[in-house]
Amino acid sequence: MTPLLSVENLTVTYARNDAERMAVDSISFAIEPGEIVALVGESGSGKTATGLAIMGILSANARVGPGSAIRFEGRDLLATPERELRDIRGRRISMVFQEPAAALNPVMCVGDQVAEVALVHGERDKRAARTKAIEMLGRVGLPDADERYRAYPHELSGGMRQRVMLAIALLLRPALVIADEPTSALDVTVQAQVLALLLDLQREAQTAVLLITHDLGVVAETCARALVMREGRIVESASVDDLFHAPAHEYTRELLAAMPRIVRPA
Amino acid sequence: MTARPILAVRNLRVVHRSVGFGPARVSVAVNGISFDIARGDTFALVGESGCGKTTTARAILRLIDASSGTIEYDGLDLRALRGEALRRQRKRMQIVFQDPFTSLNPRHTVGSIVGEGLIVHDLARGAEVAAKVARLLEEVGLSAADAVRYPAELSGGQRQRVAIARALAVDPEFLILDEAVSALDVTTQAQVLALIASLRDARVLTCLFIAHNLAVVQSVASTVAVMYQGRIVEQGPVTALFAASKHPYTRAMLDAVPVTDPRDRHARTPLAGDPGAGGGAEPGCAFYPRCPHPSKDAVCRAAVPPLRAPAGESAAGSAAGSAAGSAAGSSSGAEEAQGHGSAHLVACTKAVPPSL
Ligand SMILES: Nc1ncnc2c1ncn2[C@@H]1O[C@H](COP(=O)(O)OP(=O)(O)OP(=O)(O)O)[C@@H](O)[C@H]1O
Ligand SMILES: Nc1ncnc2c1ncn2[C@@H]1O[C@H](COP(=O)(O)OP(=O)(O)O)[C@@H](O)[C@H]1O
Ligand code: SF4
Ligand SMILES: [Mg+2]
Ligand SMILES: [Mg+2]
Repeated sequence: MTPLLSVENLTVTYARNDAERMAVDSISFAIEPGEIVALVGESGSGKTATGLAIMGILSANARVGPGSAIRFEGRDLLATPERELRDIRGRRISMVFQEPAAALNPVMCVGDQVAEVALVHGERDKRAARTKAIEMLGRVGLPDADERYRAYPHELSGGMRQRVMLAIALLLRPALVIADEPTSALDVTVQAQVLALLLDLQREAQTAVLLITHDLGVVAETCARALVMREGRIVESASVDDLFHAPAHEYTRELLAAMPRIVRPA
Repeated sequence: MTARPILAVRNLRVVHRSVGFGPARVSVAVNGISFDIARGDTFALVGESGCGKTTTARAILRLIDASSGTIEYDGLDLRALRGEALRRQRKRMQIVFQDPFTSLNPRHTVGSIVGEGLIVHDLARGAEVAAKVARLLEEVGLSAADAVRYPAELSGGQRQRVAIARALAVDPEFLILDEAVSALDVTTQAQVLALIASLRDARVLTCLFIAHNLAVVQSVASTVAVMYQGRIVEQGPVTALFAASKHPYTRAMLDAVPVTDPRDRHARTPLAGDPGAGGGAEPGCAFYPRCPHPSKDAVCRAAVPPLRAPAGESAAGSAAGSAAGSAAGSSSGAEEAQGHGSAHLVACTKAVPPSL
């Protein structure tokens, strides 16, 4: 089976004045169709930068190093013109951002932001797009989806905004979802619902998920494989079972040791 | 009996009005909650997204107006503060928000964001400011060199640490952490929590800690209040409450905590349904539509169950139990019991079944 996504030798640097900061340092990994892979690691280790590079939406001061390749569904995304990338984004690959408040348009009601994904990607019937959006908002657990359709982002709680982001990302059943800390703003019951939903859609539409998270519980609960990043490099790539039971890298052991656990009195 | 609390919240009620086209929509975000926080203590608020945690925090800090109720801090009636007195109070109480992206000014460097409070409150001058900023940045696991960077150049976790450093800069007595460590990786999270614990010990810092990671809550807080749709439904000492939770919602929440070992994965039924639009238009227990309790019945729907000692636990039971109904604004005996920081209280008409 050819992988859905293969990242080869990816390097991302951020420029600032005359200095360059290496955010991602020649990493390689692949994701199979329908697979759920965790990307874990220290804050600032380059997880989001990796996701943004795959999406092709790095900020203007960022540069992808020569020799990097990102192959997705048979094409090299780094060599694909922006016009085609725009069609791929949202339809074949989508991203759930770490900070929903920054990713949502503050002056557009949330329902229209979901419906817009369908409209941008070929849906001509506005009513159909709206119906689709309401259905998806309901599936991600937004209470009173048809009424909240008209709500503006600032009227929703952080967790509700995150669910709107999920609805936007999942609307067109993409082949790959890059979910950047999708549940770190959510309480545990909604987190369980959202993870169950991600798993449902993954099964239903063979959606692969690159799950960026620092929550090792989420990894233990949902992922098959995990990549551990530190200072721009992948220091360990293992099955989740090995990661928890036979961690190879010292840093992975540190992460496991720092994992918060509920303590029950004896 | 604990010492006089530094923060005493009574029957706090906050209503949001959204203006727009058509009639204004009104939603009750916080519906008559009461709690005490003892000086130097860490009190946690947990509950589903949208249940009113952030609104409670904002009301305490006067970033939003409460509709009714009282908020007393160190003998001051916070809701009545104006002008200079309010400004002085603001230095004593700091908050770190859920979403650092929107709370950090994008046009200011990290150094000026963290240093601003020092200058405004005249806590440092000249070269002293930069030195203090450098020390604060290092305390939260950033480096002094990060002072020249802008928020947009930082990762999510790094921005969160800037927000924490900014809050600590003015040496607050009372700190509200609203999901402030949720975006941090576990090692940084452990480091920041240790920092807060050491500050708490070194200079008597009282914290209101809002988080959804229950293991983290247990590691930092002594008391926890569980909110559901604007009300506190269960409250008590963290470890005891987690070990023997009495409210069906608390149970569902604890049951949803992810495993810590992939080999322990098991099928479970996540709590179904939506928290609802808030405001509790239906009479009775707001959790009723989603409650899995086998014997929920018409009694649950008759009136909002008051917070009282769980059946079989006598402490404070008689006093609070006699005060039926916990309508906002009423000053009943239940108020006394609710305010009591350390007793285990629960708002459910049924005894908890052994396994739910
Ligand atoms: N727009 C930017 N300009 C300059 N530097 C940046 C920018 N975005 C990120 N960086 C830097 O690149 C490095 C990697 O950042 P990235 O956002 O990928 O981290 P992360 O692993 O996602 O961390 P977190 O878990 O905190 O979100 C960090 O050192 C960060 O400060
Ligand atoms: N500015 C606002 N305008 C209107 N409604 C709001 C506003 N802020 C929050 N709400 C509503 O108030 C309720 C509680 O929100 P919030 O306190 O943010 O919850 P939490 O922090 O527990 O997730 C939610 O129903 C939310 O949609
Ligand atoms: S009062 Fe009734 S409906 Fe509410 S939590 Fe208890 S058993 Fe469930
Ligand atoms: Mg990130
Ligand atoms: Mg909140």
